[in-house]
Amino acid sequence: MLAYTIRRLAMFVPLAFGMATITFCLLLFFPGDPVAVLLGDAATPEQIAQTRANLRLDAPWFERLGSFLWGLAQGDLGQSIFQRRPVSAIIIERLGATLELAAAAILIAVVIGLVLGVLAALWRGTFFDMALMFLAQVGISIPVFWLGIMLVYVFSVSLGWLPSISRGPAMGPALMQALSGNPGPLLDSLSHIFLPALSLGLGQAAIISRLVRASVLDVMHEDFVRTARAKGLSRTRVMLVHVLRNALLPIISVVGLRFGVLLAGAVLTESIFAWPGLGQLIITAVSQRDLPLIQGLLLTFALMFALVNLIVDLLYGLVDPRIELE
Amino acid sequence: MSFKRSLRSVFVGSIAALALSSSLAMADLVSPPETVRMGFDVDSLSLDVRLQAETTSYRLNDLLYDGLVRLDEHFMPQPALATSWEQPDPLTLIFHLREGVTFHDGSPLKASDVVYTYTTMLDPALNARSRSLYEPIESVTAVDDQTVEFKLKEPYAPLFSYLDLGIVPQSVAEGNANFGASPVGTGPFRFDNWVRGSQINLVANPDYWGGEPAVKRIEVVIVSDGTARAQAMAAGDLDLIYTPLPPAEVRKLEADDRFNHSVVPAASFIYVNFNTADPLLSDPAVRVAISKLIDQATIVDQIYGGMDEAASSILMPAFPWAYDADVKQPTFDLEGAMAELDALGWTMGLDGVRAKDGVRLALTIGTNSEDAERIQSIEYLQNLFASAGIATEVLIVDYPTFMQGNQGGTYQLSFLSWGNLVDPDRAMFGQLHSQGNFNWGKYSNPEVDEALERGREASTPEERAEAYKAAATIIADEVPYYIVSHMRLHAFTSKKLDGFTTDARGFLTDLATPASE
Repeated sequence: MLAYTIRRLAMFVPLAFGMATITFCLLLFFPGDPVAVLLGDAATPEQIAQTRANLRLDAPWFERLGSFLWGLAQGDLGQSIFQRRPVSAIIIERLGATLELAAAAILIAVVIGLVLGVLAALWRGTFFDMALMFLAQVGISIPVFWLGIMLVYVFSVSLGWLPSISRGPAMGPALMQALSGNPGPLLDSLSHIFLPALSLGLGQAAIISRLVRASVLDVMHEDFVRTARAKGLSRTRVMLVHVLRNALLPIISVVGLRFGVLLAGAVLTESIFAWPGLGQLIITAVSQRDLPLIQGLLLTFALMFALVNLIVDLLYGLVDPRIELE
Repeated sequence: MSFKRSLRSVFVGSIAALALSSSLAMADLVSPPETVRMGFDVDSLSLDVRLQAETTSYRLNDLLYDGLVRLDEHFMPQPALATSWEQPDPLTLIFHLREGVTFHDGSPLKASDVVYTYTTMLDPALNARSRSLYEPIESVTAVDDQTVEFKLKEPYAPLFSYLDLGIVPQSVAEGNANFGASPVGTGPFRFDNWVRGSQINLVANPDYWGGEPAVKRIEVVIVSDGTARAQAMAAGDLDLIYTPLPPAEVRKLEADDRFNHSVVPAASFIYVNFNTADPLLSDPAVRVAISKLIDQATIVDQIYGGMDEAASSILMPAFPWAYDADVKQPTFDLEGAMAELDALGWTMGLDGVRAKDGVRLALTIGTNSEDAERIQSIEYLQNLFASAGIATEVLIVDYPTFMQGNQGGTYQLSFLSWGNLVDPDRAMFGQLHSQGNFNWGKYSNPEVDEALERGREASTPEERAEAYKAAATIIADEVPYYIVSHMRLHAFTSKKLDGFTTDARGFLTDLATPASE
């Protein structure tokens, strides 16, 4: 498994260069001039030309691609045109917030999805099952954006229970402080992340609950489940050890695949909740045509997606020993 | 020339005398709170005042730095770091600096800092967005530690409107790539910390020359979505927000008696640009007829929810000294427009589109996709134009593409706005002088050119006002620009900030009210 992981990680290198080349080429066809945005409406044509030269935007495309790839090989993603700081530094300072939000959303999605999916399968055909599946359908259809605004309206504006915007203390350090007896920062952090994570996670929870229900129902009719029941195992034990473990496989792979959707959703959620993550950053970068920053962000998203799918594959091996990772 | 020179001296001298007594704040807060938390729509790109590019930077830099002058609510220069100035000839300005001013790092303000600020501002290597505003400056030199001399290439009256540029300390800023991330100025508030994309915090400067502010801490939270910003205000998480906000949110907050609502004219306008280089639009009479198809009232009151003021000309109400309500561009008149088009030989064809000498009257109108109200406006115009026999194609693209299109003359008409116009010159010279840098519609009228040049060379506000009125009158008659509305800035504040007023730029000067003795 270690060899497999290393081999997969090594694949990230050509992936990164491939991604970098593709995004670079796509951005060549992207209309709009970053310099015109940078210098604003009042820029003179001479100023624009001079700034283009200063930023080396007037160099031929193959030269720029070459220097971008050469920089990448040295771990340098270049300078943001607008923030005038290294792209890697900008991405790193925002990465934590997005990962934290994505992890919390996945956690919420998996917990809610699993519990409701299993209950719906157990009580198949009842009113609960039908109501749940109806709600799941609604959950899948609700746009993340609208859901976020509604959650803020209910929990922040009307009830006043939770903060409507911004991020609390970073979760990691807050957790450490809580372990050493000071739960304040952690509670603050949780109160800030709850609404954005819920608005991002609910749609995924709806999808997972439908999948869990179907998957559990499938497995429940397998011979080995009947055998387990016949052996006299308790209903709970059969459910947890035999049914759920087997039903989990398709769910894990869906969570991996949905990660991309989650990142896309984070772009909207972050702007509603003023969450300082990569999603907000890419909106700004695109609207400004900050080409080096866009390239860096797309590369980061691609690598994150690849990494999550690697984790999914590794989890597969853990959950199902029949799968060999070679 | 000598007459002008003497008048100019009187003008400059009288400003200095008038302002010595004025306090920094526009109005005093009734009971200043310890902490003020406000929601802004964009993060700052850099808090280096020389690189300011968006509203957030302008507003915060006004608290972090002081300029030689500051602009009062009517954009008239008042002393700030310069306590007085004189103008021995039209091309020379001498500023005397306030004594005993220190930067936030404790170092004293010197004339060399002023020289450094303006010299780097003019240096193309800095890529400063507003460099072109300062280009008429030939040189800036320190006469002694407390005196600075500006030499100009040509007479340039609008310069005072840009001399509120904050002064940076040379010892900290020089060669410091990180200056924009940890700025140092002389202003009433010091930089505390910044979580990019999320929050910028400032703290009161106890050593401020104007007195330590009573408000001790300012937290600026970045909430890009207007609805979310209004909700955060409603939830009690913010003390102050400004437009842009969706019209529906403005109405909701207006109805909420927990908040104060104040409205000031902003130095910004929304307009329709006519590409006068286009053969169909080169005749002013055709432009006048088409401008009569712009249903200004519906756009301003319905689409924009009545948040702005319908304009009668390019003269902005934010400048009372240069405003004249009697200058009037054409108003909505569908029948009149059709009759004028008929008279000009544009007769209705069988396909419902007007034509003249075999050429159809078909136009494109562009705007940017980020702004729902602009899109609704041009779609509404498309309908109105069609009903008058003008085939109109709507082009909606994202902002950078749109601006590129404007600069390249892609659209015959476009619907857009100008902001942060702190001087009437800033609203007209670049836009409508035949040699203007952003005269995208290639408008050219020698009389307008002459009037705008006169505005730059004039010595008194009265002379300048007269020049801009003359230019605005011709512009209203020939319609290279149709001004839809003069924008207004709406501020919502919690009761904590009773007494707070702002200016056209949304500056937060009132938060610097010193603690009462």
